[in-house]
Formats: sequence, structure tokens, C-alpha cells
Amino acid sequence: MVTEAVTMTDPAGLKAIGAALAVGLTGLASAYAERDIGAAAIGAMAENEGLFGKGLILTVIPETIVIFGLVVAILML
Amino acid sequence: MRLLQKLKRGYNSGSKSHAKYAYTVSRVRAMKSKLLPKEAYPRLMNMSIDEITRFIGESGYKEDVDELALKYDGVDLVEHSLNRNLSVTFRKLLNISEGEVNFLIAEYLKEYDIWNIKTILRGDYCKASKEEVLEAIVAGGSLTYTFLSELAAKGSYEEIISEFEGTEYYPILKDYDGTNLSDVENHLDKLYYDGLFVVAGSSKSKDRKLFAKFIRVGIDITNLMILFRLKKAELYDPQMMDLMIEGGLEIDLKTIQKLMPFSFEEFINELEKYSYWKEISDLVSPDMKSLIDVETRLKKHRLKSAASFSHVYPISIVPIMDYMLSKQNEVNNLRIIVRGKAAGLDDDTIKEQLVI
Repeated sequence: MVTEAVTMTDPAGLKAIGAALAVGLTGLASAYAERDIGAAAIGAMAENEGLFGKGLILTVIPETIVIFGLVVAILML
Repeated sequence: MRLLQKLKRGYNSGSKSHAKYAYTVSRVRAMKSKLLPKEAYPRLMNMSIDEITRFIGESGYKEDVDELALKYDGVDLVEHSLNRNLSVTFRKLLNISEGEVNFLIAEYLKEYDIWNIKTILRGDYCKASKEEVLEAIVAGGSLTYTFLSELAAKGSYEEIISEFEGTEYYPILKDYDGTNLSDVENHLDKLYYDGLFVVAGSSKSKDRKLFAKFIRVGIDITNLMILFRLKKAELYDPQMMDLMIEGGLEIDLKTIQKLMPFSFEEFINELEKYSYWKEISDLVSPDMKSLIDVETRLKKHRLKSAASFSHVYPISIVPIMDYMLSKQNEVNNLRIIVRGKAAGLDDDTIKEQLVI
């Protein structure tokens, strides 16, 4: 009787790939979003230093995207 | 490889310039917030010239007033400070922008190069002194103040014009023979607008389209003001078409040609078809005496439409152009107040001229 060799993929590996995608892609997305905001914040700060606090907060708001990614990754593993 | 280059080019022209706009535009918006508020003008009207000097010396013009206070005083100090501030501001705009934005701003600012060339030639024409010419110079474009003051010191127009050899202005300037100043001035203005349209039409990018629209509204307003003046002076000569600028948004040259033989009353009736009518309808009547109100209203409309246009396209060339217009307007208003007061005009006359 000929039997086929059954190859099993370790599910832990797939999970790791999923987690990597979750963090990696969301990281890219927030970087993309922060680029314009950061540039604008620097511009506003160059004219008025008092805007540092506001500029900083607005710049890191897209950081939430990568935090969601991180949470999903942690839940997965 | 070719695909890679194409991708790179696409990246450079599209998304990357977006971030540059974000920087320049937010900086320009912060600069705009520092302009004098509307409420400042009635207060300025109640001040004497020295008080106005102190007031602007404590606002955005501090550096200019401080620096020039050693050389000038009174009205001259204000005038020179305003001009210096305007050129410093426009130079700053050129310094804080790069790529396409920078190019478009530089093209727009050629207006000042042309203005300065015209001022120097006019100064030579009426034999004004170097100081008098320098008073009207705004080195906002690519020609520097040092170069311009050297020109102003020259004895004859031939010497002035020879300095421009090799520039785009030379072919026009070389036709100047000491008498045909208005022709040369008209040609220079046309050169400026032609240049703008070449720039605006050479690329299909959204920014250049907005830039073109902005310029074309400006042309409409200028043409309308010229038309009003011509009609009021009862000039119907078709030769006056030379004064008109091509490329208006709503009122093109063909329309103007049609409007040319109309009397003032017919002209007003015809104007009702255009969107500018609703801005000026309450001021215009066939027996109106002065055009100042209408001109001020048209200028105000231009400012207002630029401001609302800049809200529609927040990250584009428009807010920058809007700032440039508002800044020019502020300087003009301050100059009107100071010059009016120095000439002893009454407050109402000065107020009429202000565009607030």
C-alpha cells in the first residue's frame, strides 16, 4: 500500500506570521498618516513655539493604529 | 528598471510633495494669523503718524522699524518699513518652500520684478531722485534690493536697460526710447501673465490648475476695473483693447471686445450676467460719481474668494496665494492710512479707500 507523506505545518508559525503582519502593516499605516501631520506640525511650530504641545498630540494620534495592531498581535499569540 | 524609474518619478511628483505642502501651508497659515485683525484699522484711524509707527513697530514690523529708524523718520519710515517687510516676507516664502510650490511662488512674485523695473523707469522718466525711487521699491521677486538701488542711481535709461541684457525682459525693454513708457509697461505686464499661463498650462497637476484659476479670477477683476474706468471716462476706442489682459475666467477677450463700444449704462446692464454682479450690484448705478467704492468692493471680493477657496483646497498652493494677497492688502491699507494722514485727508476719504 502506498501512503502519501503527510506534511503538517506548525500552527504556531502561521500565528507568528499573522502577528508580524498585524504589527508591521499597521506600523507602516501609522507612519504614512503621521508623515503629513508631522511636517505640518513642524511648520506651525517654526512660526509659533507655543504650538509644540498641540503639534505633538496631533502627530501621535495615528499611533493608535499601530496600538490596535499590537493588541491584535498579542491576542493572537 | 524603467518601471522602477517611473514609480520613483510618480512618488516624487505626487505623494512626496504633499508632505512639503503640509509644512509650507501650515507655516503660512500661522503667518496669516499674525496679520493685523480687522478691528485694528479703526484704531489706527484714530492715531497720529508717530503712534502708528509705534503700533506697527510693536507688531509684525518690529525688526523693519527698528532697523530703518536710524535712517528715516515719520511717513518715510513707515513706507520703507512696510516695503522692507513685504520683501522679507516674500523671500521667506521662497525659502520655506521647495519643488513645485517654490517654482509657482517664484513665478507669481515676478510681479515685483516687473513692478520694480517699471518704478525705476518711471523714476528716470520724471527725473526723480534715487531716494524717491527707492521709496517705492519692493524687492520681493528675484531682483535684489542692492541691484535695484544700483539701477536707481544710474543716470540714463540706456544704462538701466543695458543691465537687463540676457534676461527675459530685455526684448521688451530695448524698445524703450524715453517716451513710450506706457507701451513698455503694458508689454511687461503681458509678459508676466503670459509667463504665468505657460507655467500653469504646462502640467496637468491639480495644483497648477488651481493656480491658473486663481490667476484668472485676478485677471477678471483687473479687467473689470479697467473697463469701469474706461466707461466712466467715456472712452470707446477699440485701441484700448491693448490695456486688457488675456485669460480671464468669466470675462475673456472676446467678451471685452463686445463690451468695448457700450456706454456706461449698457455696460452695467451687461454685467448682470456675470457672477461678479452680485458683489457690486448695490453700489453700481448709471449716475454714480466715484468708482472708489466699486473698486474697493471688487478687491474685497477677490480677498474673500481667495480665503474661501483656500478652505476648499487646504493643502495646495491656494492658501499660500491667499496669504500673499492678504499681506499685500495689509501693507496697502497701512500705506493708505499713513499717506492719507500725512496729506491731511479727512477720515472718511481714507476709510473709503481701505480694503478691509
